Amino acid sequence: MHDIDDMEKRGIPSVMVASAPFEEAAQTQVDALGLDISRIFVPHPIQDRTDEEMREMVDLVFDELLDTLIE
Amino acid sequence: MTVDPGWIDQLKSKFDKEEFRSRQVELPTQEDTHEAMFERSWTDGLPVVPPTPQRVRRMLEGTSRDADEIVVLVPPNLVECTVEKIAVNAVMAGCKPEFLPVVIAALEAICTEEFNMHGVLATTMSVGPIFVVNGPIADEIGMNSEINVLGHGNRANSTIGRAVQLVILNVGGGGPGGVDRSTFGHMGKQGFCFSENEVSSPWPSVAETRGFEPSQNVVTAFTGEGPRLVVDQKSRTPESLTLNLAAHLISTVSSRMVAGMDAMLVLSPEHSSRYEEAGWSKERFLEEITSMMMVDTDSIIAGAGGIEEGLPEAFRGVQLPKFRPNGLIIAQAGGPAGLFSAIIGGWLNGPTGSEPTSKEILF
Amino acid sequence: MTDERILLDPTAELIPATRTLSKRHRSLSDKTIGLLNISKPRGEIFLDRLEQKLTEKGIQVLRYSKPTFTKPAPIDLRNEIATKCDAVIEALAD
Repeated sequence: MHDIDDMEKRGIPSVMVASAPFEEAAQTQVDALGLDISRIFVPHPIQDRTDEEMREMVDLVFDELLDTLIE
Repeated sequence: MTVDPGWIDQLKSKFDKEEFRSRQVELPTQEDTHEAMFERSWTDGLPVVPPTPQRVRRMLEGTSRDADEIVVLVPPNLVECTVEKIAVNAVMAGCKPEFLPVVIAALEAICTEEFNMHGVLATTMSVGPIFVVNGPIADEIGMNSEINVLGHGNRANSTIGRAVQLVILNVGGGGPGGVDRSTFGHMGKQGFCFSENEVSSPWPSVAETRGFEPSQNVVTAFTGEGPRLVVDQKSRTPESLTLNLAAHLISTVSSRMVAGMDAMLVLSPEHSSRYEEAGWSKERFLEEITSMMMVDTDSIIAGAGGIEEGLPEAFRGVQLPKFRPNGLIIAQAGGPAGLFSAIIGGWLNGPTGSEPTSKEILF
Repeated sequence: MTDERILLDPTAELIPATRTLSKRHRSLSDKTIGLLNISKPRGEIFLDRLEQKLTEKGIQVLRYSKPTFTKPAPIDLRNEIATKCDAVIEALAD
């Protein structure tokens, strides 16, 4: 999230994608950094997914993801 | 244990969260305090002292004025500004509490119709507010009027003007690239404040010339450029020195312009002594130098001498003074050695420009 | 040491005291998006698909990987991304 924070400081709209269990950790980090970083969560787990399931995951969040980068 | 109502009031004011009107910003744990202040654009580009409640509380002890008193409307956004808000910015600038009354008076001077701080900010010309402090307070708070007087190194000189500029930036919302459109700016916009050497000066001070008593503490605001040096190490007579100073002053801002801009001349002790030895008063000096700065308009009509900049044809054939009456402000300061003086070019004067403005410093 | 976590706001308080996100784009067409792989297993497949979908929309894509997901990206890499990209998507943390 420091990478995203750094990009935002440079004026570059940025978003991070993480799996659902990261939600709480991300919130803690957001509070500490003082910036409400854009973040999109996908269902857990990741490591046992087939390639096809991974691709479907992208399709699922794609529009939402782009929405975080535009007005 | 006694229940003394007075004591309870004291405790209440001490621990009351409403002590300050300003928003309290709690920084996230991972944010570096100094970086956080830069991030929030609270600074002028240099580090600032973090305005903690303790520091602001201490700063407010520098004035008897109520923290809630609205002192000025700060341009360009014309925001109501309290003593407390000024104190917050004074802490950030590095001021000591005893500087606060000067900062407040300086703001009272520039946040006026006549000084026109909005115009000073918005102009593309390279000017900013410059403050001259007169009266006993200058020594009391340790201001420098001697070596490097227009430079760095003295806390009061360096931070008073800076506090004022931080208020303009933070409260008024006037910063470079926003309302501040200056093509070049100058380093003095970081804060430009000095005191006159009233002890060694033969002439009445800037404040006295503007109608104040020597016992009064006064800050005078002038809109000006960075200083430039005039070297004259050979003149032994006041006439010679004055002629040379006039020759330099005549090119202030533009050698093709007359009467529209003021200037400040900072005479060094060694140059001042030339006049003291010859018995010239300030009035005499101003009279003489004014007559030496009459400009033959034919020489500065547009196109004259191959230069397209200049006065319109209609001005041909007359003699005009370089400066309007009282348009040349004389201050006396500087290190004991050096047969030099300094010229600070001004900006547009009059109702559309900026008028030099003086305010008494109240405690 | 003086606690410097609580500061009094020196401004006119017209904007929130918290930091705000950088200004979002009006549209992403003609923009370049950097895809930053945090270098955890499986992230590559996710990002490949993402690149495909972005490219289909006419959005330019540049791919980057950080050496390890355990640390922030090296400064050189961040500088390069900042120079070349208009927006950044970082994936995939699990």
